[in-house]
Amino acid sequence: MGGPAASPAPRQPEQADVTELELRIQLLGGGVVGYNINDNADILAEILARLDGRSLAAAACVCRLWAAVARRDAVWEALCLRHVGPAPPAGPATRAVVAALGGYRRLYRLCLGPALDRLGRAAQAHHHHHHQVARAHHQHRLSLSLSLSLFSIDCYERLGAGTSAGRKPPPPSSLLFLCKPVDVS
Amino acid sequence: MAMGGGASFPFQWPSDPGLDAVALPPLPTVVPDAAAAGVAYYAAADMHAAMPSALPDFAAALAAMRREEEEAAGIRLVHLLMSCAGAVEAGDPAAASAHLADAHAALAAVSPSSGIGRVAVHFSAALSRRLFPPTPSPPTPATQPPAEAAADHAFLYHQFYEAGPYLKFAHFTANQAILEAVHGCTHVHIIDFNLMQGLQWPALIQALALRPGGPPSLRLTGIGPPSPPGRDDLRDVGVRLADLARSVRVHFSFRGVAANRLDEVRPWMLQVSQGEAVAVNSVLQLHRLVAGDSDSDDPARAAAAPIDAVLECVASMRPRVFAVVEQEADHNKAGFLDRFTEALFYYSAVFDSLDAASGGGGAVDAAAEAYLEREICDIVCGEGAERRERHEPLRRWRDRLGRAGLAGVPLGANALRQARMLVGLFSGEGHCVEEADGCLTLGWHGRPLFSASAWRAEENNHQSDSNADASSSGGGSEESNISCSS
Repeated sequence: MGGPAASPAPRQPEQADVTELELRIQLLGGGVVGYNINDNADILAEILARLDGRSLAAAACVCRLWAAVARRDAVWEALCLRHVGPAPPAGPATRAVVAALGGYRRLYRLCLGPALDRLGRAAQAHHHHHHQVARAHHQHRLSLSLSLSLFSIDCYERLGAGTSAGRKPPPPSSLLFLCKPVDVS
Repeated sequence: MAMGGGASFPFQWPSDPGLDAVALPPLPTVVPDAAAAGVAYYAAADMHAAMPSALPDFAAALAAMRREEEEAAGIRLVHLLMSCAGAVEAGDPAAASAHLADAHAALAAVSPSSGIGRVAVHFSAALSRRLFPPTPSPPTPATQPPAEAAADHAFLYHQFYEAGPYLKFAHFTANQAILEAVHGCTHVHIIDFNLMQGLQWPALIQALALRPGGPPSLRLTGIGPPSPPGRDDLRDVGVRLADLARSVRVHFSFRGVAANRLDEVRPWMLQVSQGEAVAVNSVLQLHRLVAGDSDSDDPARAAAAPIDAVLECVASMRPRVFAVVEQEADHNKAGFLDRFTEALFYYSAVFDSLDAASGGGGAVDAAAEAYLEREICDIVCGEGAERRERHEPLRRWRDRLGRAGLAGVPLGANALRQARMLVGLFSGEGHCVEEADGCLTLGWHGRPLFSASAWRAEENNHQSDSNADASSSGGGSEESNISCSS
């Protein structure tokens, strides 16, 4: 792979990048104590919890440890709660309900992520068309209760897909509409 | 313009198909009754008067002309359809079929992916069905085996649910009203006038699970059509809901009531217990019970209608909240032409909004369209007892519900905010949620399409909310099923 400063061989760019990333992180620890971020999964979790959705998903591709840490629901919980508001005190009750419905990671993947993307695209298009100052990024246009409602409907539809007589195709996901293109007319 | 009942139809549209778009006679500026609702769609009438005088770009001019031609063709088509409807009302089938034939020809000129094109297809199909009713031997929806018909209807309903924000708006708003009304109650009994696949309830179950103070004990009574022998659709839905409730630890029980019509359901079938907070939920059901006789502007005649029996039943249960969502349209008029025109403009707006909600590419889900097509067919072709889609505007519902002893409960800022957030997730800037007198309406470019409101029995005797019943704990859920056929 070459030294740390050399550019990676272009054979398989993603793989090379990932390995280099790992190497760089290892070397960031310096030669003094040889600290490796992978030594402490909880600190890694704290760091990952501050990433946005896409970065978090990318981080999960780094190595098995990162994948395992990125899979922790607490990490996704932090991400979800950051993006919805006004944030209610999300206590253990909320955690239990979300876990029962499939977990924060799934909530983000199916509901919050697409919804935020969609709102972001709509806001961008609006900005483009009307030349206004773009709204503040953290203006909350989605509430936790609304996303949980949509999520629960999706969970319910999946419950039904397993038991329905396979006469008709499985019912569409209630959250598919979030993936449709935004009409910005 | 003379409306309804006259010997001459209000539109004398030249039937010469060779007319150039530009040479169309000036359009009437006030379109009957639809002026109040939906002019926004046909404001194009004014634009025709003034063609752009100086255009810098020839291509742009060409495109503009093509658009204008299309719009003119669309408007001509609309007027042909209305002339046909006028002829039907005047009892002149020959003229009606002539206009209809012209309309079919004009349909070819209008792009099928435009809003008016698609709606016009359905309306002209409905008109021809009315003029030339199909012979009874091929299976029509009325003679289809009920199992097939019900399954088809369920499928179309589900597709319609996914395709646009309307049913979601209905469910979420009704849920919010119910949630707020049963705040603090430990035993809640919800009666759903039309269970279908129960898509409304997972969100409410989840919200109740998370409410401060813990979830109440929830009972759901779902009303629906009887299932064919060997199947129990109501119970299946109940089982699914029970599974969901169990996973979020809400004590839940379900009972299904099978009935073909809502007025067959008697209060004793619903088994309301002492001390429980009753919430009744009706999404797009009440309009089917309205007067069988079409000349119902006279309240005395309307009193005999099934709707009053049902409203009495509801009021007798003293519900904490009666959530009502209905189409915001006036499709129950006596005169056929009035009704036809209203429906034409209403469904144009709905199709437009569906188009925007599905991304604006003209790719409206076929099943969602089919769902609406059934309504259109019913409004246009059905008469008397056969017509079930008798939509009425909110002000008439207010009167009816008021007469039955129900008082309005304002929906509140939370409901409005949630509805706006939900609708904001759907594409198309055109959808809007407005609040008026405590009711929410979902509209498309200012034209209200659906209205949601909440009601309760007047002089509510406030029983103590704590229930002395020792209810079983934990997440166990039991469901019992009683089927009552007429």
